[in-house]
Amino acid sequence: MPIHLSRRDMLGLIAGGGALAAAPAWAVVSPQAETPLPSFTGPEANPYWNSVGPYVTYPQKVPLIRLTDRPIQLETPRRYFRTAITPNEAFYVRYHLPDIPNAVDLASWRLTLEGNFAHPLQLSLEQLRKEFKPVTIAAVNQCSGNSRSRFQPRVPGGQWGNGAMGNALWTGVRLSDVLKRAGIQPGTVQIQFEGLDHGPGPQGKGSNRFLKSWNVDEPILKDAVIAYLMNGEPLPMLNGFPVRMVMPGKFATYWTKHLTFIRALTTPDTNFWMTPAYQIPDTPNGSTTPEDLKAGKVKLVPIGHVNMPVRSVIVDPDGAVPLLPGVPATIRGVAFSGQGKIVKVDVSVDDGKTWRPAKLGADLGAHAFREYSLVWTPTAPGKHTIAVRATDAAGHVQPDTGVWNPGGYLWNKIERQDVLVLSA
Amino acid sequence: MTKLTLTAALLVAATAMTSALAFDRPGLKASGEYASGTLGKATQPARAEPGSGSVYEVGKWPTYTAELAPGAGHDTVLGHCSMCHSVTYITMQPPLPAATWEMEVNKMIKTFGAPIDEATAKDIIAYLQAHYTPETRK
Repeated sequence: MPIHLSRRDMLGLIAGGGALAAAPAWAVVSPQAETPLPSFTGPEANPYWNSVGPYVTYPQKVPLIRLTDRPIQLETPRRYFRTAITPNEAFYVRYHLPDIPNAVDLASWRLTLEGNFAHPLQLSLEQLRKEFKPVTIAAVNQCSGNSRSRFQPRVPGGQWGNGAMGNALWTGVRLSDVLKRAGIQPGTVQIQFEGLDHGPGPQGKGSNRFLKSWNVDEPILKDAVIAYLMNGEPLPMLNGFPVRMVMPGKFATYWTKHLTFIRALTTPDTNFWMTPAYQIPDTPNGSTTPEDLKAGKVKLVPIGHVNMPVRSVIVDPDGAVPLLPGVPATIRGVAFSGQGKIVKVDVSVDDGKTWRPAKLGADLGAHAFREYSLVWTPTAPGKHTIAVRATDAAGHVQPDTGVWNPGGYLWNKIERQDVLVLSA
Repeated sequence: MTKLTLTAALLVAATAMTSALAFDRPGLKASGEYASGTLGKATQPARAEPGSGSVYEVGKWPTYTAELAPGAGHDTVLGHCSMCHSVTYITMQPPLPAATWEMEVNKMIKTFGAPIDEATAKDIIAYLQAHYTPETRK
């Protein structure tokens, strides 16, 4: 696939200049390697599976896709979603504040329970491991703004492709066991979580501390796990060592990394990260329009009010290799939902006109990725559009329309992939 | 053999070789095409100890400075915005309407407490609007 570059283009390449007019490449893996992706997308939707930043190497990580470097936001490349477990070294990273731990001393680190508890606690990692019953759960951690770059019209924020998510086996202790030992006292209205990460902003502002809270009677507090192992290993620093919250079914904003403080509050938390940040329209699918928002017609609620909507992604084929007529090709990827386990994944090879059920992989639990695959033997040469649609146990089916809200949250539109079938 | 005939013989041989290769590679449409590029810019990290004693430790977080569009206000934006975050937060964004940029800058000041005075804020907003809207972004 020869691509002819003018002298100007070549100079741009050598200078590392970003915004070349690139030939469409529908995947991170492309059949050409001399022309880079454009350095940004828009005002139309990002047409690529991942975001368009360069590959970067961070401590304990394989090359990931950079969104930002301070604070750090890194996206997982498409190929790591071929299997239901996302490797730790490829797991995406998203921070709100730039003061991120480089070193933690377990001799002095303590998980601190303070505020309106009968028995405030200071627990070492060893105490957590030995004094509480260990549990392991497979659960998807997905950024609220995953796929934000799909929004139309575009909204400001981290311009994620589909890779701000991952599924891991989380081992730790039940939050409820720890809360029970501390003893929540009457008058407690919320439980607040804070990690070791910090920011340079003034006290009392969202640029200084990242705080997330739940109402004390919120059911998720019973399912939540304080994880000290991720896929059987201590957590990578950028994924929250020594422990992080695991909130199965909920978006990752509540999965506090480097968890160090749990507080029993007697007044509701009104810090920036609870309101106005991470709020969604109080509509059936969290969608609204710029017009209604402007007209003040939209009531906003914290994203914790909902569980993650059902969605699925296509990993293979990725469009980098053409298919051959008469030769079986495997269409595969993962599906998940925060609202019930995946019970069905349908695949279309005619742009969503007709559907056939895919084979589902192992059931790792209601909150995990579920692999799907379908063998398709193309016959007609030319362009074909593959689409994938997941259904969860509660009966939610992925829609073929995109949501819109000002935060860029809750994206779950049916994904598509164009493939080329050669004539033999 | 004179020098001239030697050259001619080599030419004949080379031509024969080329046609022989073409003959031996049915279906070949293109090959041996190389492009000058940026290979080698991304290096592998050297090994290091992940801590010592009771301390879990990783290296420093790598950074870079995104290239901002040249123009009035460039240095003001670089200086002030970089206080809390890298300017990739600007270059990563899709082209945003002028009003959105104004909202973003006001959020940084009012909500996040960025110590930026009114006149400087105006310069920052004007710069972002001059280079990063659907009409102006290059």
